[in-house]
Amino acid sequence: MSDANDDFGFSIDMTVRNEWRNVDLLRTSVQNCFTAVFADVDGCHAIAMVTGELLENALKYGDWVSGDRAMFRLRVNGSANHIVEVSVQNPLKDRDNASNLMKAIDEINSYPKPEQAYRARMLQIAQSEEEAAPSRLGLVRIAFEGNCRLAATIENGTVTVTAALDLTQSA
Amino acid sequence: MDNLQSGDLTIEVADAPDAVFRCTWKGKSNERNPSETLKPWFEALLAAVAAKQGTVEMHFEKIEHFNSSTITALIRLIQICRKSNIKLVMIYDQTLKWQRLSFDALRVFEKNDDLFHLRFA
Repeated sequence: MSDANDDFGFSIDMTVRNEWRNVDLLRTSVQNCFTAVFADVDGCHAIAMVTGELLENALKYGDWVSGDRAMFRLRVNGSANHIVEVSVQNPLKDRDNASNLMKAIDEINSYPKPEQAYRARMLQIAQSEEEAAPSRLGLVRIAFEGNCRLAATIENGTVTVTAALDLTQSA
Repeated sequence: MDNLQSGDLTIEVADAPDAVFRCTWKGKSNERNPSETLKPWFEALLAAVAAKQGTVEMHFEKIEHFNSSTITALIRLIQICRKSNIKLVMIYDQTLKWQRLSFDALRVFEKNDDLFHLRFA
């Protein structure tokens, strides 16, 4: 973590080994770090949840066979106005994967409120008989519980998903 | 009925005399695919509950964290209980914002059939 130009500025930028246990290690580390910065315990939990869900998605859908593992990165940035950006970069598996991700984010952002997107996804899961199919609840949980705006970029064989948390508003 | 211990998650089950199976979630549910362990445990639990014509209380007040895959497993549990005519109550800590958000959203599954309820401690 490093200080930025304002009182509450901070930045985390690190390469992550692609091991599942690192999700919880980083999630709890981020939570502890932000608890040291903010008095807002709920906000810190939200940042940690978003970090965990983004890392889980990267590990589930990234290319860990032929992709460059050094491209697995976690970045968390924040400023005094309490906008926190969490982004996770990982090697892109294939075009279908990228297309599904973009569609999922577009769909979530198409709802007037993330709560509506979350409820719609839960109802879809309840109606689905496919146990083995991915639930893809993580992104919409980030939008709803994290009160986030989601975006994704694809560049040079990597995908970066960014969640911008507005901690000035309650979800 | 045995407790569940899987990774960082423990679910302690207590069978009350009134056939209320009180299940207390502790720790963290952060496995890659929690359904792999939760589904068979739920099946065994519901078989024991059905044998006693009992009901289920899932207590989440003490859990520290669960991932979205765990929420998916809980949604499927709600559906299975409803199909099996087993009453399910989920109890959470509403003073924790993350629990309030996660569980209030599940109210979409509450119906007039008295088979699924959410309650806060």
